[in-house]
Amino acid sequence: MQSVERAYAEKRMAEKEADAELVRLAQAGDERAFQALVVKYQRRIARHVARYVKRANDVEEVVQDAFMRAYRGLASYRGDASFYSWLYRIASNAAFSFLKKNAGELPVADERSDDGFEPGLTDEQTPERVLLARQIGEVVERAMARLQPELAEALVLFEVEGKSYKEIAQMLGTPIGTVRTRIFRAREFIARRLEPVLGPARDRRW
Amino acid sequence: MSLNVSLLLDGELEPAEVKPALEELAANSGLRDRYTLYGLAGDALRGNSTPDDGFSIRIFERMKREGVKIEPGYDPLED
Repeated sequence: MQSVERAYAEKRMAEKEADAELVRLAQAGDERAFQALVVKYQRRIARHVARYVKRANDVEEVVQDAFMRAYRGLASYRGDASFYSWLYRIASNAAFSFLKKNAGELPVADERSDDGFEPGLTDEQTPERVLLARQIGEVVERAMARLQPELAEALVLFEVEGKSYKEIAQMLGTPIGTVRTRIFRAREFIARRLEPVLGPARDRRW
Repeated sequence: MSLNVSLLLDGELEPAEVKPALEELAANSGLRDRYTLYGLAGDALRGNSTPDDGFSIRIFERMKREGVKIEPGYDPLED
């Protein structure tokens, strides 16, 4: 199985063009477009920041700083790299600034492991959130095992292998509309199983 | 509709379809839930199943509280 890092790297490549219109709208002042980007990327940015910053509350502060810096600097984003790559670099800078500012007062994160990090939590709540994250992972794994193979295949090619819809259509010899439908149906299958785990008021309010 | 949410998340809508999709999201909390859940499912497949739990909301609230605006001339990569 390929590493999580490689999966993210491949996905970033596919995303280079994917966010173009959302970014353009955000640059034109559409806050909803920026919010859609925040919801899409906050989890990945938080995991990146957690490599350098240990405490969950500090991670949240740094991620907030990173998204605020990104919003302030939207006009400077030219699309030379993917929006995510740009955001990733901003988050690195925000993390390093935080560490510099708080030097000597912080526990040091172990760069080799980010296990156990849960954004948005006090440190005291972390074990409960770790459990919830584990449950989510198990639900997704079980759902994938029960999913029709052609739906699971399309979703894995997109989410894990980082292929574009067009590439998936070519690989599977299907029309692109079929790829759209398969990925959507796979997500719906998983989402319906995640809902009871997360509850109606948690995780999804924006 | 939820299919458009899935396509929005993946950047597979036509440019002209993105703004209407955002308007649908803004008007429909059920669709926003879908956007979040679809994203969570994808991240979970890549090994990151951390729940949001209001994380995004707190980012928006802080941005609003601090009156964050787009600043022409500001480059966050230089900050």
